[in-house]
Amino acid sequence: MTAAPLLEITDLHITYWRRSLLGLRGKPFHAVRGASLSIRPGETLGLVGESGSGKSSIANAVLGLAPVSSGSIRFAGSELAAMNARYPPSLRKRIQAVFQDPYSSLNPAMTVEDIITEPLRVHTELTRAERRAKAIELLQRVSLSEEHLRRHPYQFSGGQRQRIAIASALALQPEMIVLDEPVSALDVSTQNQIINLLYERREALGIAYLLIAHDLALVHHISDRIAVMYLGHIVEEGPSDRVFHAPAHPYTKALLDAVPLLDPQAQRRRRAARKSAPAPEAARVAPTGCPYRNRCPSAMKRCAEESPPAYSVAAGGVASCFLLADARPEAASAASATA
Amino acid sequence: MLIVAFAATVLGVLFLLAVLADWVSPYDPLQQDLMSALQWPSSAHWLGTDDLGRDVLSRLIYGCRIAVIATAEATAIALVIGVPIGLFIGYRGGWWDWIVMRVVEALVSIPGIMVAIVIIAILGPGLHRAMIALGILFSTSFLRLTRGVVLAEREEVYVRSARVVGASETRILLRHIFPNIAPPLIVQTTLTVGAVLLAEAGLSFIGLGIQPPQASWGTMLNTAAAFMDLNWFLAIPPGVAIILTVLSVNLLGDVLRDSIGRGIAAAAPPPASAPRVAPLLARAPSDSPQSSRSDEMLRIEALDIVIAMPGATEIPVITDVSLAIAKGETLGLVGESGSGKTLTGLAILGLLGPVLRMTHGSIRLNGRAIHDLDQKALEAVRGSEVAMVFQDPTTSLNPAFTVGSQIAEVLRIKNGLSAEDARRRTVQLIDRVGIPRAAERAQAYPHELSGGMAQRIAIARALSCNPSLLIADEPTTALDVTVQQEILDLFRDLQDEFGMAMMFVTHDLAVAADVCNRIAVMYAGEVVETAEVDALFADPRHPYTRGLLSALPQGSSRNPPLPIIPGSVPRPGTWPTGCRFQNRCDRRVEACEARIPLVGAERMVRCVHYQNARLKAVLS
Repeated sequence: MTAAPLLEITDLHITYWRRSLLGLRGKPFHAVRGASLSIRPGETLGLVGESGSGKSSIANAVLGLAPVSSGSIRFAGSELAAMNARYPPSLRKRIQAVFQDPYSSLNPAMTVEDIITEPLRVHTELTRAERRAKAIELLQRVSLSEEHLRRHPYQFSGGQRQRIAIASALALQPEMIVLDEPVSALDVSTQNQIINLLYERREALGIAYLLIAHDLALVHHISDRIAVMYLGHIVEEGPSDRVFHAPAHPYTKALLDAVPLLDPQAQRRRRAARKSAPAPEAARVAPTGCPYRNRCPSAMKRCAEESPPAYSVAAGGVASCFLLADARPEAASAASATA
Repeated sequence: MLIVAFAATVLGVLFLLAVLADWVSPYDPLQQDLMSALQWPSSAHWLGTDDLGRDVLSRLIYGCRIAVIATAEATAIALVIGVPIGLFIGYRGGWWDWIVMRVVEALVSIPGIMVAIVIIAILGPGLHRAMIALGILFSTSFLRLTRGVVLAEREEVYVRSARVVGASETRILLRHIFPNIAPPLIVQTTLTVGAVLLAEAGLSFIGLGIQPPQASWGTMLNTAAAFMDLNWFLAIPPGVAIILTVLSVNLLGDVLRDSIGRGIAAAAPPPASAPRVAPLLARAPSDSPQSSRSDEMLRIEALDIVIAMPGATEIPVITDVSLAIAKGETLGLVGESGSGKTLTGLAILGLLGPVLRMTHGSIRLNGRAIHDLDQKALEAVRGSEVAMVFQDPTTSLNPAFTVGSQIAEVLRIKNGLSAEDARRRTVQLIDRVGIPRAAERAQAYPHELSGGMAQRIAIARALSCNPSLLIADEPTTALDVTVQQEILDLFRDLQDEFGMAMMFVTHDLAVAADVCNRIAVMYAGEVVETAEVDALFADPRHPYTRGLLSALPQGSSRNPPLPIIPGSVPRPGTWPTGCRFQNRCDRRVEACEARIPLVGAERMVRCVHYQNARLKAVLS
């Protein structure tokens, strides 16, 4: 708990401007509204949310692929947000990424060898033979072999492609890898293979992961901590087990409840319970107050008037919900979140 | 392959003749002999003589040289100007793109030959100057093509990956994007070669290209045109030369394009180590009979589907699939990609497409065979008796029409409702699928709705004609989990109300557990287990079902290593004989090599261990 954070995001805002017909600035779209996160060296933070929650925008901002409107992203002491996506090579090589779709994230015109050694070509002075030796070693680390070097991506299955993407991300021995939905495009029977591989590499190399996903149950398996996003806000954050087993924010609860249970009888009971308390039909976006209040079963008057600060949760972490205010009026983290 | 060799030979001969023209041509191409003008082919002049008595064969051979120089020059200039500018403005965009594209548009809005004439007027006439003019002219098509492809490619995820790696902009453009735009460029190059040959003829004709008395194929054609009535044969040699050259270049271009293989995911031929495919092709008698059920809506019996690519052996993708769904029942068809679950659904609708063919089996709906209906009869079935909901509602709805009109259209065509009645019923349906302010939403276009709303519309459309069978193909896979829950609730409610049979295709066992009464688990083109939903989850029997269940994220609470099924689903054509799961199974025995039937009555399973267990139970 004492190590300084490797990545520290503070009050991050990301706004996209839709272009109007004349190429002028149109309506703003606030993808991320004041998110704060931190990841220590070797730690895995799972960032969970539904589409449009802003989780991928955060990933892109960390990787220098999306513009930051305001706020700070500090990585190992350097301020990334101020660099306007032009990271110096010394910094670049320390943050790598694996993207969701293994079918488009590998260049179809390149061989596996080219793909895996590309980071080495850009950042090192290794000779061709040295690069190849390194590529073979990396392939073996992800359970592929030397014979795959000369092949093109289309000759591989989804799971194998994701292994290649991971090998390429590992080539520079980065301190952090951003994993943007790394298994959601894969078959169920291969998903766990990739999760296990990521876990094993983390244990062996001490890499920190920022794991973006929509599936809380899956994220829970590999994360040390989990942050839950809703419409650009981080509504809950805490130790993985606590968030998964004892969610504090109503949205986190809703996310967990929405995943069908594997026990059909229990699922039927849950459905019956849900039917008796139908959720209100309303706009997803609440302009003021708590962003989730329109869909929240326990919304109060107060939720519309002010936005809930981050209250600390007894078993660890924080959640932005007034329900916690009654239980424990928390000052420390609340002050920092509203500032 | 023979054609490719021929094309290569033609171009090889062309180059040889161009280089060796001084030695191989029988006469001086410029030497006139007015006494023997316009001769037909003879032993002295193999291809005859032209209006000035010059030997046509010699002029044709020297024309090769001009053809090679002209096309190489003009095409190279077009490439050198067009591609880099196209790359730059496509990648950079903004003002650069705007200015360059306006200039290009101005250029291409004037007839090409006019532009060339203007350029030559500035540069002066002559072959090289004419080719510079053509090069500039043709560069616009390279520029636009390159820009267009770069615009698409720069959004690809692999470009983001390259950025994250730290590749410079130049490197991304040249090393990552450029190889991917090569295939269309090659095609464009070969087309340009043909166009240059013809344009050179035109320019020479008006005296701006090759200067007389020099010979080019174009000038020869022009001469021939003037003397058509005296000696029509004059047009044949240069004509054939141009046709052969252009055809050969195009052919070789296609071969080159295909050989740099940009991930066309043609199924790789089965590796030599897996020769055990053939026995599967023999049609064994169905070993998965379905017991008859009361109130049966759909019955599929011993369905076989093959991929029949022209010139290739047929590869089975579905074998011996038998299913039955009763009225008001939901059957879950569960499996990973490549299991054949979607194809089974499409086969019912007769939407297999040209490459896939049903080779065996029967499909009965309400007791009527629908597998051998012709297209017209099938159209009557689709939409009214069987309806389908697809995975991605944003693409299954037509973006050009309001959602209301898309539902009303079905009602008018299938049910013959009047426009007014159809509109009223449409609003009712939209309201029924849980969309507030239905009348207003009927006027919305698909892009104005969220994914969940759009899927509700797709469901309303599917239900508009009270189908006996609703096929839902991964209807919630593209949706967020909270929206998925709402849609699954909706499916259950609607089935209670409409009473149709439902086939729910999904890869997610948990979703199947939620909406289905019975589940059929598919693996590699066959059903490996069917059971009532409670029984399946309480006691999965096939090792694949067990593996799938334990692999689900909510199925275990352990930390990694998580339970896995080793390997991946084999592609059609590489299935092992006997049990197709054997290579990934931890309970494999020798008996798995033999073909395993699907056995049982209420519960059926295709596994050697279960058969043994039953056998033991019977014996003891």
